Amino acid sequence: MKEMTLEMAKKALKASVRWARDIAENPCSVAVVDKAGAVIAVERMDGAAQATTDIAIEKAWSVVAFKVPTLMLARMIDPRALGKQLGDHGIGLLTKGKGRLTFIAGSVPITGDDGEIIGAIGCSGVPAGVGEISDSSVCQAGWSALYD
Amino acid sequence: MIITLKMARQIIDAAVKHAKKIGNRCSIAVVDEHGWLVALYKMDDALLPTVDIAWDKAWTAAAFKTASSDISKFGDASKPNFGLKATNWNDRLTTIAGGLPIKNGKAIIGAIGVSGGTPEEDVAICQAVVAALKLD
Repeated sequence: MKEMTLEMAKKALKASVRWARDIAENPCSVAVVDKAGAVIAVERMDGAAQATTDIAIEKAWSVVAFKVPTLMLARMIDPRALGKQLGDHGIGLLTKGKGRLTFIAGSVPITGDDGEIIGAIGCSGVPAGVGEISDSSVCQAGWSALYD
Repeated sequence: MIITLKMARQIIDAAVKHAKKIGNRCSIAVVDEHGWLVALYKMDDALLPTVDIAWDKAWTAAAFKTASSDISKFGDASKPNFGLKATNWNDRLTTIAGGLPIKNGKAIIGAIGVSGGTPEEDVAICQAVVAALKLD
């Protein structure tokens, strides 16, 4: 894989949506962006909250912009990390990223053949950000479909 | 009837097919009757801003329950609605042609927005797709 295409994005979305419907049993939105952070495809499942499309897009954008899953960004602003190097460093990020940087877990980077990030998947709508049934696992279902 | 993801996928896939046939690269957005996004695809090589423009066109068509191009008549200084565009409501309002409501009989259940070609081409794609839509 060198570049994200609409075909690939649709494949990832299909797998994510199926996983969210059949296993998580929780409607949500899933977004796929390319290496520029530009939206390639977004889908909101029936019954998912309206605002979830925006959050899914912003999560995926944040992955490309920062080259880490948004779980890492969430950890960087965790108040429990204050006083430790990572926490002190991260809290200032809250005002950065032109209002788009998202500090909520639930995204995965997509890496190309040479190891560079060529895109990202973001999900929003599942109550948990991380864990067995979470936004992150919905993203991972889509991610796996790309590497079959 | 509300617009489902299945219907949105059907609409967008048909639009992509139509755009390929006429050699266009565009973005296609489908929103529900309140203007909230249901699905959005950007075709490979479509220009970056087409994503937001397609979304805005669909939002405008759903919010005003009319074709997005109809909004431009509100910008006519001789009409009482002059200045609507200047309110820039929600930052989404657009007067560009290429957004059409999706109807079930008389009821508007959502809207489609297409951006990437000339306004005429975008409208043609919208019309073809809406006309071909089979509602269960």
